[in-house]
Amino acid sequence: MPDAAVLINDLHKSYRGAFTAALNGLFLEVPQNTIYGLLGPNGAGKTTTLSIICGLFGASGGSVQVMGYDTEKHKAEVLRHIGLVPQKIALFGNLTCEENLRYFGRLYQLSGSEIKKRIKDLLHLMNLEKHGDKNVSRYSGGMQRRANLIAALLHEPDILILDEPTAGVDVQSRALIISFLKEYHAQGKTILYTSHLLDEAEHLCQAVSIIDEGKNVLSGTPAQLIGQTPGAAKLEDVFLAHTGHSIRD
Amino acid sequence: MPHVLQKILATIYKEWLLLRRDVGGMLVLLLMPAVLIVVMAMVQDAPFRDYQEVTFELLVADQDQSDLSKTLLQGLEESGHFHIIRQHNNQLLDTVQVKALLKKGYAHVGIVIPKGAAAEVSNAANQIANSMAGAMSMGRLPVRAQKDRHITLYFDPASKPTLRSAVYFALDKYITYASSRQLLQRLTKLSGDTTQSSQTFENIFSTLTVKEEALEAKGLKAASINSVQHNVPAWAIFGMFFIVVPITSHLIREREEGSAMRLELIPYAQLSVAVGKVLFFMLVCTLQFYIMCAVGIWLMPLLGLPALQMGQHPLALLVLVLGIAFCATSYGYFLGAYFKTVNQAMPFGALSVVILAAVGGTWVPVELLPPAVRHTALISPLHWGLSGANQLMLRGGGMADIWPQVTVLVVLGSLLVVMGLWKNHRRSLSV
Repeated sequence: MPDAAVLINDLHKSYRGAFTAALNGLFLEVPQNTIYGLLGPNGAGKTTTLSIICGLFGASGGSVQVMGYDTEKHKAEVLRHIGLVPQKIALFGNLTCEENLRYFGRLYQLSGSEIKKRIKDLLHLMNLEKHGDKNVSRYSGGMQRRANLIAALLHEPDILILDEPTAGVDVQSRALIISFLKEYHAQGKTILYTSHLLDEAEHLCQAVSIIDEGKNVLSGTPAQLIGQTPGAAKLEDVFLAHTGHSIRD
Repeated sequence: MPHVLQKILATIYKEWLLLRRDVGGMLVLLLMPAVLIVVMAMVQDAPFRDYQEVTFELLVADQDQSDLSKTLLQGLEESGHFHIIRQHNNQLLDTVQVKALLKKGYAHVGIVIPKGAAAEVSNAANQIANSMAGAMSMGRLPVRAQKDRHITLYFDPASKPTLRSAVYFALDKYITYASSRQLLQRLTKLSGDTTQSSQTFENIFSTLTVKEEALEAKGLKAASINSVQHNVPAWAIFGMFFIVVPITSHLIREREEGSAMRLELIPYAQLSVAVGKVLFFMLVCTLQFYIMCAVGIWLMPLLGLPALQMGQHPLALLVLVLGIAFCATSYGYFLGAYFKTVNQAMPFGALSVVILAAVGGTWVPVELLPPAVRHTALISPLHWGLSGANQLMLRGGGMADIWPQVTVLVVLGSLLVVMGLWKNHRRSLSV
C-alpha cells in the first residue's frame, strides 16, 4: 500500500488561449490518513490541481498518482478511491436530495439496500433527514453544501477532496461540516481540502501546502510554518508573508 | 440485473422525474406539435386538393355568343372545376371589366372569346372538308381567307402556374372537341348523310377515355396523398426533431450547474448515462409521434379533413418511428456536446431543424422541389423519415420497403452519438 494518498510530481497545466500557465511545476505529497490543506490566493491553481487529481482535466505535463494509481492510466480506479466535493453544487436541482443520491448510488453500482442505508445515515449525519424529499433547488446555501458533501460520500471514498466546502455557508452549517470532516478522518480517511478561511485551515489541517502562480511556496504543519516565518502569529500571517498583499483577480 | 442495464434504467427514471416536474416543457413537447399538425393540415388542405376538388371562379367575356362559345363554356362548367361568371352587376362582361375584376382579385382567371371565333372555326373546317371531299368528288362548301383569332386568357398575377396550366389544357381540350365536331359535321353534310353525325362523333370521343384507379394492396384501400396524409407524418417527424431543443439545453445546463461533473466522477458511468438519456428521449419522441397520429385519425375528421391512414404494417411503422426517434435524439445529443451555451445551441438547433425540414420535404413534397434542392433532400434525416412513412402509410409497404430509410437514420444517429461522446471525452482533456 502506498504511503501517499496523493502524489503530484512536476505538474503543469496550460489552458487553451490563456496567457499564463495555471500550474507551473507543482509538487505535492498528501500522506494517507491526514487532513491536508491546499491553500493559495485566487488563481493560484488550487481548483485546477483538484480537478486534475480527479481526472476531470488532463495535465499538460507531470504526473499524478492517487493511492498508487496514475490518474491518466487508471482513471476508474482513481475515481473509486476519490470523493470530490466541488465548489459548484453538483446535483440535479429539480430532483430531491434523496432522488439525487439514489441515482448516484445506482451509478456507483450499489445495491438497493446499501443505497437506502447510506442515504438514511448520511442525511442524518448532515442534519438533512427532514428535508430529503425536497428539491435541492429549494435548499438554502448551507443545505446545498451539505447535500453536495453527501453525494461525494455515497461510495465511501478513501480520499475526500473538498474545494472550499464552507464558502458562503452559515456558522452552524460550517461547524457541522468541520465536525464531520474530523469524524471522517478519524475513520482512517484522507482529506484534501482548499479554503480561503485560514483560521479554519489552521485548526483543521495536520499539514498544509501554500501554492501561488501554479508553484509550491511552502509546505508543512501549520505550527511549523508559523514558527518558520518571522513575526507570524497565525497561518494568515504566514500566507500574507509569502504570497504578498497585492490583490489577485 | 447487469450493472450497465441498472445504470441505464436509473438514468431513464431520472430523466422521467425531471421531465415530469417540467409540466410546461412536457406540454410543449406533446401539445405544440399536435396544434402544429392541425393548423398545417387545415391550411394546406386546399393546395393539396390540387385543383381537383376545388372550383374556381372564371370570368368570361363572350363576344361571339355562338354555338362554339357555348360548347366551350358548357364543357368547362361541366368539368366541375370552374364556375362561369358571365355577368357583373347584371351586365354581360366585356374585356375591360374582366381585366378590372381580375386586378381587384375578384377571380383568378378571365377568358375573352372574340367575335367571329365560331365563324373562323367553321371556315377552317370547311377548308379541310373541301380538300378531303375534293379527292372523293363530293362537292364544296363556301370558304374565305383565314383570319387570326385568339381566345384570350387573363390571370390574376397571384394565381399559381399549376392553375394556369389547368385552365389552358382544359380550354385547349374543348376547342379541339368543338373543332373536331364542326369538321365531322361538314364532312357528313358533304356526304349527304345528316342523321348520324352527332352520334358518330360522340362514339369516337367516348371510345378511349382516361380513368384513374387507386393502387390497392391486399384488398385494403390504399391512401392517396392529401393534406392529412402528408402533413401528419411530415409535421410529426418535424416535431420529433424539435426534441433537439430540450435535449441540447438539458445537456448544457447539466454542465453549467455541475451535475454533469458529478456524473463524470463516477467510474464507467458516462456511456450508460448517455445511452439512458438517448433511450428516454427516444421514448418521448415515439410517444409524440403516435399522439400526432391519434390526432390525424380521430381529430382531423371532426374538422372536416380526411382521416389519417396508418398503413398495414404497424410493426414496420414502429421500427421506422424508433429509427427517426434515435436520429432526432442523437442530433440533440450531438448539439448539446458541441455547443457551449444554451443561447448558441437553441437557436441553431431550432433553425437547423427548420432548414432540414424545408429541404426534406416537410412543407412541400420533395417531388415538387427544384431539382437542385431535391438532391439536397438526401442529407436531411427528415426526408428519410418522411419517405419511410410514405412507403408505409401511402403505398402500403412493409418492412422490406423501409430498410434503406431505417438504415440511413440509424447510421446517421449512431455517427452523431459517437461524435457527441467523443466531444464530451475530449472536452475534459482539452480544457
